[in-house]
Amino acid sequence: MRKAVLALMVLWLAGVGFASADCKVHRGVHVVLYSTTDDPSVLIWDSRPRLREYYSASFDAAQAMLPHALLVAPGTHAQVLSCVQNYVVSPLFHSPDDAVGVTITSGQHRGVIRWVLGSDVRTTHH
Amino acid sequence: MTAFLLLTLAFAVQATFETRSQIDNTFARQAEIQQSQIQLEELLRLQIDEENSLRGYSLTRDEFYVGQYRQAASGYAATEDAIRRTLAAQQLYGPSQLLGDYARLQSEWRNEVAAPLLRNPRNRLVELDKRNKLFSDYETRTVAAIRETLAATNASLVHSTQQQLDRSSYWRAFWLLVFGLLAILFNAYRSRANRELEQERTVTEILQRAFRSESVPLPHCEVGSAYLSATDHMAVGGDVFDVYRLSSTQALVLIADVSGKGVDAAVLTAFIKFMIRAIALRQSEPAAILSEFNLAFSKAVGNPYLFVSMFVGVLDTSTLRLQYGSAGHDCTYVRSRNGVRQLPVTGPVLGVMEEPFSNETVDLLPGDTLVLATDGLTEVRNRAGELLGDDAMGVIARAGPHAQQLADELVAYVKERGGRRLRDDLAILAIRVLDGEPADA
Repeated sequence: MRKAVLALMVLWLAGVGFASADCKVHRGVHVVLYSTTDDPSVLIWDSRPRLREYYSASFDAAQAMLPHALLVAPGTHAQVLSCVQNYVVSPLFHSPDDAVGVTITSGQHRGVIRWVLGSDVRTTHH
Repeated sequence: MTAFLLLTLAFAVQATFETRSQIDNTFARQAEIQQSQIQLEELLRLQIDEENSLRGYSLTRDEFYVGQYRQAASGYAATEDAIRRTLAAQQLYGPSQLLGDYARLQSEWRNEVAAPLLRNPRNRLVELDKRNKLFSDYETRTVAAIRETLAATNASLVHSTQQQLDRSSYWRAFWLLVFGLLAILFNAYRSRANRELEQERTVTEILQRAFRSESVPLPHCEVGSAYLSATDHMAVGGDVFDVYRLSSTQALVLIADVSGKGVDAAVLTAFIKFMIRAIALRQSEPAAILSEFNLAFSKAVGNPYLFVSMFVGVLDTSTLRLQYGSAGHDCTYVRSRNGVRQLPVTGPVLGVMEEPFSNETVDLLPGDTLVLATDGLTEVRNRAGELLGDDAMGVIARAGPHAQQLADELVAYVKERGGRRLRDDLAILAIRVLDGEPADA
């Protein structure tokens, strides 16, 4: 049952990926997660709406959502499964940001599939 | 026109000062905003220092990082307070509120993340890390929002300064244009007026020179005369004098001052001169000459505002007897060995009323001088604005002995006393009886 759900989730993420050709990363690309220089660790989310909600919600609402997020160390490797262009909108952003679905490929959360903010995803050059 | 020019100049100067004041004010505001921007970056650095110190302590348990943490926290409070004061002074309520949120987040972070870790650095829980990340994200975003608002305010001030400079330039150009146009108009108007006045003056002077008597020799007498025009920008007045021989022993002596100035007055002097001559050929008494002239003048001119003061004398050069009539002309004197005396007037000015005129007789002695002048002599003012008045007699008494010398010295005196303030022309006619008995007496 668990494997079936995982497979469905992967298929869904892949479908979204096909529909978003203009994202800055594409399906299959290997990336490194790294946030802002102030605090480079990255929050990864179990759903795309929560990812969006986190960046537009109040502090208290965002705090209440934290159990749905994992904190990964900066430099954690991942592979892109899908990407939705300009999905994350925040009054504090100059422009909307992408939502990127990834599979973590290193560290203690290896194998986990989550959503991450487009600007926290850095492509590797090897 | 001058008032318009001054007003334009005043507007231009006032606008310049006003713009300068506005720009000063805007620059001051800009400086404050820029200072806040710098302080905000310093605040963010202090916040990151706090967090990094905490990480350092968490990883190493070195108390050095606790000191760093406390130092950064203390600096944060002071810097945040300085920014808050500036924002309040600049009435930037939006950034001020965001700064409050930022400070509150940092305070909560200290309580909820930093304090537990400082108490027990070994228990660095995952949830605490997540909360740390949450605080970090929100603080970064809040600072970004403040930064953006301050940058927008600064850009707005820069734009405002540029607008003020542009507006100032346009207004300066406008007032300069207005001033220039008014100056050109004023200059053109003044040039035209001066040209017209100069033309009129030239015509008038030509007329007056033609009408004024040339030196006429009289038996046993010497005749001197002088004429002084007022300053160039004044129209020429209507002064006239004449010495005309009626017979071998009798001479008509005339001096008159027509009210008014310009060509009209000059033409009247010709009228006066030749009419008096014509009447004098028929009438032997000055009073009768004045009466007849008064009648003719009133009928011919018909202007109730025009009048003439006139002295008419008939001098017998054989007896040295002067019979005269003075129609309101009081600038007439006789200088003798005993001093200078003024000849009384014998009737009103001409052209005003038909009053009878009377004759007066003066017996001159050898060496005596008859001095006839117009009111340019007695009405000349000194620097203090005082009229010469009766002091003219003193000036006459001190003048040289000969007739022409006396006339010239009087003119020189008036020039010196009046300087550029001469308002009226001056005519002088002096007749001096030569020493010794007349040959045909």
